[in-house]
Amino acid sequence: MGMFLGGLLLLMTTACSEEDPSSTDTAAPPGAPAGSGGEEVEEQTEVVEGTEVVNIGFSGPLSGAGAYYGNNTLNGLTMAIDEINADGGIEVDGEMHSLNLVSLDDQYLPDETGANARRLVQESDTPVIFVPHSGGTYATQIFNEQDEVLLASYSSEPEITQQGNDLTMRIPPTYDAYVEPFSEYQMERFGPKLSMLPPSTEFGMDWAEELKPVWESLGGEVVHEGSVDYSMDTDFFTVVTNALSDDPDVLFVGGSSEPTAQVMQQARELGFEGGFLIMDQAKLDEIDNVLGGAPDVIDGSVGVAPLVYDIHEGNEQFIHDYQEEHGNDPGSEAGYHYYAVYIIAEAMQEAGTVEDAHAIRENLDDGLHQVPEDKRIYDVSEVDEQGGMTTELRMAVVEDGEIELVDFDD
Amino acid sequence: MDVLAQQLFNGLTIGSVYSLVALGLTLVYGILHIPNFAHGALYMVGGYVTLMTMTTLGLPYFVAMFMSILVVGGIAVLMERLVFHQLRHSPPIHDKIAAIGLLLFLETLVQLIWGADYRSMTTPFDDIVSFLGITVTTQRILIVVAAVLVMIALHLFLKKTMIGAAIIAMSQNREGAFLQGINANRVAMLTFFISGGLAAIAASISSPINLVYPGMGHLVILKAFVIIIIGGMGSVPGAIIGGYILGFSESLGATFISSDYSDIIAFVLLVAILTVKPQGLFAKGAH
Amino acid sequence: MSMIKRNRIALIFLLVALMAPLFTDNQYYLYIVTLSFIWTIAVYGMNLIGGYTGQLSLAHAGFFAIGAYSLGLLTVDANVPYWFAFVLACLITTVVGFFVGLIALRTKEHFFAIYTLCVGYIIYLVIYQWDELTGGVRGLIGVPPPSPIGPISFESAESNYYLVLAFLVLVFVFMKFLTESLIGRTYVAIRNSEELAQTIGINTMRQKLVSFVISTFLAGLAGALYASFVRFLGPEISYTMTTFDMLTYLIVGGIGTLYGPLVGTFLIVTITQSLQFMEEYRMLIFGPLLVFLVIFYPRGIVGGIQMWKAKRQFKKRQKMKRTSSTSTHEGGD
Repeated sequence: MGMFLGGLLLLMTTACSEEDPSSTDTAAPPGAPAGSGGEEVEEQTEVVEGTEVVNIGFSGPLSGAGAYYGNNTLNGLTMAIDEINADGGIEVDGEMHSLNLVSLDDQYLPDETGANARRLVQESDTPVIFVPHSGGTYATQIFNEQDEVLLASYSSEPEITQQGNDLTMRIPPTYDAYVEPFSEYQMERFGPKLSMLPPSTEFGMDWAEELKPVWESLGGEVVHEGSVDYSMDTDFFTVVTNALSDDPDVLFVGGSSEPTAQVMQQARELGFEGGFLIMDQAKLDEIDNVLGGAPDVIDGSVGVAPLVYDIHEGNEQFIHDYQEEHGNDPGSEAGYHYYAVYIIAEAMQEAGTVEDAHAIRENLDDGLHQVPEDKRIYDVSEVDEQGGMTTELRMAVVEDGEIELVDFDD
Repeated sequence: MDVLAQQLFNGLTIGSVYSLVALGLTLVYGILHIPNFAHGALYMVGGYVTLMTMTTLGLPYFVAMFMSILVVGGIAVLMERLVFHQLRHSPPIHDKIAAIGLLLFLETLVQLIWGADYRSMTTPFDDIVSFLGITVTTQRILIVVAAVLVMIALHLFLKKTMIGAAIIAMSQNREGAFLQGINANRVAMLTFFISGGLAAIAASISSPINLVYPGMGHLVILKAFVIIIIGGMGSVPGAIIGGYILGFSESLGATFISSDYSDIIAFVLLVAILTVKPQGLFAKGAH
Repeated sequence: MSMIKRNRIALIFLLVALMAPLFTDNQYYLYIVTLSFIWTIAVYGMNLIGGYTGQLSLAHAGFFAIGAYSLGLLTVDANVPYWFAFVLACLITTVVGFFVGLIALRTKEHFFAIYTLCVGYIIYLVIYQWDELTGGVRGLIGVPPPSPIGPISFESAESNYYLVLAFLVLVFVFMKFLTESLIGRTYVAIRNSEELAQTIGINTMRQKLVSFVISTFLAGLAGALYASFVRFLGPEISYTMTTFDMLTYLIVGGIGTLYGPLVGTFLIVTITQSLQFMEEYRMLIFGPLLVFLVIFYPRGIVGGIQMWKAKRQFKKRQKMKRTSSTSTHEGGD
């Protein structure tokens, strides 16, 4: 069998190393999410002529179970970059630069994120890489300081900014902010007995861990600690039955909107009359849609304010444009990513460099305050020392079947 | 709410679904000695066809279910013709690999066409009924009743019709069946059709209480394997009884042991059984 | 001289592999190739029990994960020195493999495949649910890179590459000697017919067990290398999909062939990387490819090439025979 195989291997190795360097241009459209391939190409042509191009990296789940989420985050990035380029780009150090998004799919798998991030650095020389999940964030934090690339992570895990990584930016708020006001509201309205049924995902575990001590310190009692696995449990009725067996006043649920809606509905079917404490991710408006309009199911819920119920000067245009372009309401992941691009673009201008990740990171807080009023999707007060964005939050409650917004101070 | 009674009914509901899936698997194994790993993918396709027929064509639930039976049964027959029939003289390891290939293909195809998100299926049967301290929706009653009806129909078909008798004969004695002049190809195709149809029915009745997504068949098929090993590979009554046993042990296990580990019960059960009896319970002698 | 000649493909491959980092300083290529080498080691394990001994083990990703998590937990939580933890990780996997094999191998054919599938699933569920120990779905963070051996440190991508390559070479040489030895032929005898193997006096149970244990050892070794290379672990590495991926590498390369795991893993890993859009839908191609291969080329690319060469040689010999026979005929005229 001799030479043939050796030749084949040689061929493969050389083909691989010859072909790829030229793929800096092919690297841009590959992650093209289903259905938006056209936009990606369009975006390429929109790079303003006669300007320097700055590649912005992205590695997230564009396929598999997380595809919906990943594409939402990508939509936020794409919109911001398109807008910036349409305005002529950004002026850094006297020269005009336009942004170019290079997106790669990692299917939520950390080792894929690691490969993608290295690829982005090597082939596209990206100063910034967006990673919308914590596993991938950890996998990238291993080498991002060494390679001097800013990691913009959309992950609630407080630890990602507590490990002393100098080049990490945490985009979303940590969840501890929600827990106390949610608990106070529900305990006052329904009573002290809490049953916990979070999804067995990272978000769910974070929340549950944060919620339990807070609920107990407010004088409440946790009567059931379970979890529900949307991809594995064949029938939620069983777990919901157990969660309700101790007559709780409040049920803690969450996850993607579809399965959360299912769990809430089944709890009502089993006769639950208390309130729902819903963690982030699931959106009250979507849940209502999934159930085909079910005010009696969602009544008595408290959750994170959906972006579309919190319209103000800063996000009006964004929400309008997003609905126009994608035909549905933007979620918080799209909004935060959109905002983050503007913050980074401003930080580059402040820092006077599009390459030096350290300088960009140090100017994030200044950049934040330079973002135009009408691009401030959320009420973010600062980017703190560790790189975390501090957001002022509001909550949504359902009273008499109507979704209402409440400030945390009330 | 009486938790024990409620959980017994929940077990009955899940058990009904498991039984139907396991029945399809055991029929195919009985006739062709193929452990069809792709059976879970057929289940998943069944859920999607019903859902999509309802939402895009606007057809009523039962019509959609009928469509689903035809489509999935058809896919199963194609699988038999194009793949397993070609491999009938190959070592058994090849059947398994091919089945895994089919599973991966179908799952990705569905994801390509309909995306990876969770979807829910709404049916007209969402009224709530309470009796004996338990609360159920009419959909859950439908699951239990439909499963029993399907089982009775299958029983009658196997016992009372010529072609059904041929299936039984072939599963008991392949060579003997040939000598009797049974058309093995026709029997194999028909068995695959029934198997696919059962998977489609199971998915169609259980989807409204659960969700439809590309990975929905993963655990169900694994559990179906556990069931047919408990019940004896190829045994029809074994698959039915095994399905209900697993349903009950899961819902009670989740209540009295730990809900985190309820999914593990099936596999621990299987590992325990095969540890004691490597040929499975009720093995019909070594083949 | 003849040894070099007989092993020239292996040597050419080795030479290319040794030189490769000199021609590129692209960390991404090195990362991908290193990763593919790690998978190759695991696939060799699967090949031994599946390809040579004929028992399809579907718990392979589980053992891979046991190796990976053992290393991770020992170094992160227990602060065991790296190389000691490395040896322990392989040992733990092997011991678990021994006990699983002891029971699993009493079952045959389909039962074995289903049994190991379930064992793999149990391993996955334990990693997934036992979050106090494994970090559950959040994963295990901060696995250290290999600690230096004497003056050689493993901080850079190149050094990691050579470390993994060294292990791969060891594994390859080991597999070569094993499969060409009497033991290897014993395995093939069991694959072809277990009853027959028994009648000629082979203790099939013991042989299968040894084969299985070696295969789990290789999975554990690959897992340990993976843990300190990626340095973050999530439960998904133990999921059945990972087993199916490995199976794809093996079938494409050639099940039951020495070069199969090498060729299959390298080809598929690099192809999926260079066609990134395919990642999402790779199984749309690889699924039918598996079916196609088991029907038409059950021994994959390497087996196919071997057959093609054998046929060509056969034809050549026949042609030679024919020409020589005609020539003698003419000569006789």
